[in-house]
Amino acid sequence: MFDLIISKYNYWIYIILMMIGFYAMIGKKNLVKKIIGMNIFQTAIILFFISTASKKGGTLPIIMHGHGAHAVKAASYINPLPHVLMLTAIVVMVSTLGVALAIVIQIYRRYNTLEENEILRLNK
Amino acid sequence: MRFLALIAVIITGIILIYGSVDMPDWGDPHSPASLHVSPRYIEKTMEETATPNMVTSVLADYRGYDTLGETTVIFTAGISCILILRERKRRKKRKINPKNPTNHV
Amino acid sequence: MMLQAPVLIVVIPLMFTFVALIFGLWKKGLCYPIVLIALSLSFLATLQTLNIVITSGIIHYRLGNWNPPWGIEYVVDYLNAFVLPVISFVAIMVAIYSKKSVEKELSDKVVYFYCIFLLQVTGFLGITVTGDMFNLYVFLEIASLAGYALITMGEDGAPFASFNYLIFGTIGACFYLLGVGYLYAATGSLNMADLARLLPDLYGSKVILVGFSFFMVGLAIKMALFPLHVWLPDAYTYAPSSVSALLAPLMTKVGAYVLIRVMYTVFKPYFSIEILPAATILCWIAAAAIIFGAAMALAQTDLKRMLTYILVSEVGYLALGVGLGNRNGLTGAILHILNDAFMMLALFMVVGAIMYRHGGRRISELRYLHKKMPFTMAVFVVAALSVIGIPPTCGFFSKWYLILGAINAHGWIFVAVLLASSLLNAILFFRVIENIYLEPHDGDIVENHDMVAGAEESPLTMLVPILIAGAGILSLGVLSGKIISTIIQFAIPAGF
Repeated sequence: MFDLIISKYNYWIYIILMMIGFYAMIGKKNLVKKIIGMNIFQTAIILFFISTASKKGGTLPIIMHGHGAHAVKAASYINPLPHVLMLTAIVVMVSTLGVALAIVIQIYRRYNTLEENEILRLNK
Repeated sequence: MRFLALIAVIITGIILIYGSVDMPDWGDPHSPASLHVSPRYIEKTMEETATPNMVTSVLADYRGYDTLGETTVIFTAGISCILILRERKRRKKRKINPKNPTNHV
Repeated sequence: MMLQAPVLIVVIPLMFTFVALIFGLWKKGLCYPIVLIALSLSFLATLQTLNIVITSGIIHYRLGNWNPPWGIEYVVDYLNAFVLPVISFVAIMVAIYSKKSVEKELSDKVVYFYCIFLLQVTGFLGITVTGDMFNLYVFLEIASLAGYALITMGEDGAPFASFNYLIFGTIGACFYLLGVGYLYAATGSLNMADLARLLPDLYGSKVILVGFSFFMVGLAIKMALFPLHVWLPDAYTYAPSSVSALLAPLMTKVGAYVLIRVMYTVFKPYFSIEILPAATILCWIAAAAIIFGAAMALAQTDLKRMLTYILVSEVGYLALGVGLGNRNGLTGAILHILNDAFMMLALFMVVGAIMYRHGGRRISELRYLHKKMPFTMAVFVVAALSVIGIPPTCGFFSKWYLILGAINAHGWIFVAVLLASSLLNAILFFRVIENIYLEPHDGDIVENHDMVAGAEESPLTMLVPILIAGAGILSLGVLSGKIISTIIQFAIPAGF
């Protein structure tokens, strides 16, 4: 049990962070709090992915003193692929945040409130 | 409603933690993710793309199409914001009447 | 040029978006022809791709000439090549249809509307044609963001409905991304064919199990499968007419396509049916969706809202076909992708035309409409017969294969559900058709009559796509046998 926690604690921390964000998305009634929850959820997923890329004893994925012909060992650099995927995911996260805030501005212009209960009441 | 949300969140969290038991350890150099596809990116980046930065070579060369998709996402978000937020100043505020929906914005 | 057809399908609408933006800001009237040209070229590319697949077999198109799994690959087999022309054709029909209603509803934002329209279609085509899991996520997000923006442009209640859709849709996409992440951590690969090769050794691993479950839940949210359908009625009711006509036929069908890919191509059929009883659970949820959709549709007084609940029911048919797990069931599901796209296209376009001419869409207000809009109402009747499942319309044939599949799998309760839903749909539609074809008596309320007095037949740019959709429903029904024997028979994933 103890070595399970030692070896996998990174995943568990990010899963707890994900669940905090997920609860805010579905449990809160204020629209801006939902957006904040969405941001926390997506950021935690990104960190989760990145944590699968690390290697013990590996360094940054940049070849120092490049342009020289020397052998490169895969075990001495960390995995670059999740970093690349997460660059795209960060961009997607920011774009979704932008569109969500634009929709919230439009909601505020029409209803003058940002509480879900009020909006549902005004819609009836 | 909050109770239901809490239950859903706890169940999702338990499923995720249950799944992480079989995951490779943190920092394991022999995990499948480090042995299958990425060694070629690390070892051949200088000879195939002449770029010392491996993240750049994967982003712009090996998986450049994803980068095209990513820039399209930003473009979509930008045009969406214009579409949603732009308002003519001379329109006055309409009253909301969902019982009789009208079809002009 | 012919060899590049798979990538031209996606690249042409994308590049024409920029062209439409630049020329549209210069002269507003140029947008509409540019959109039509872009979508027609893309449709020709999809037909060319289908042709190549039928004559030469599966296409493997490597982007950037890097071998998979190190580069991204477009894999077009029979299933892909079948769904792509459906998406293109529906997009062209809605683009032709949208001219009048966009000018009426969104007169000052026409240019941006058409740009987002093209980006939405790009997203759908990109999801369908790709063979890489992460590339699918990127195009899924393109399609989703465009959808949120398009739905916000509707009438009262649209921004809040779109916000609800945004929250739900982001949860769905993030669950899909989590699934991809778990699969990557366990195998190290992102390519669908490579995963199909690597996964069978790992079927006992908990990581794969959890990854698969998250795929299922994420795709169920995107596909609007009961009980995660709650975003759909509000979002599609309050959206503008052209937007509902575009999104309703396509979004759920693309979600069903991705479901078939994940369940039966990436994960082998024996995993989804035997190791994890996912197919059985899917069947029961689908049965609940069918009955729930039809029952809720009976309670509606608004015609468009009734159609969105029928859409929830149709998604149930698709999920039932996928979950039955035999050849007949899958044939029914794949054929239903084509049929339901045409049925929903016709129904939503008709409702949009009624709203354009008439201004309201409550069922009780539709009296006497058959005199004023004869052709439009005729197409509505044809589409209604197709939803109920009466030959020779196309809806009958997909329901027939679904019932055959249910009998093959000894699921007698599913046969009962399918027949009961036909009955419920018949009650539903005859209520509406009776209202349309009924002439008001002398003692009726005069104001209803006044409202209808102003309505005339739909404008030409709306009428032509409606008639083409209606003719399509009839001719696809007649041609069903040929379609199944040439395309769908080979589109069923291996292992059945």
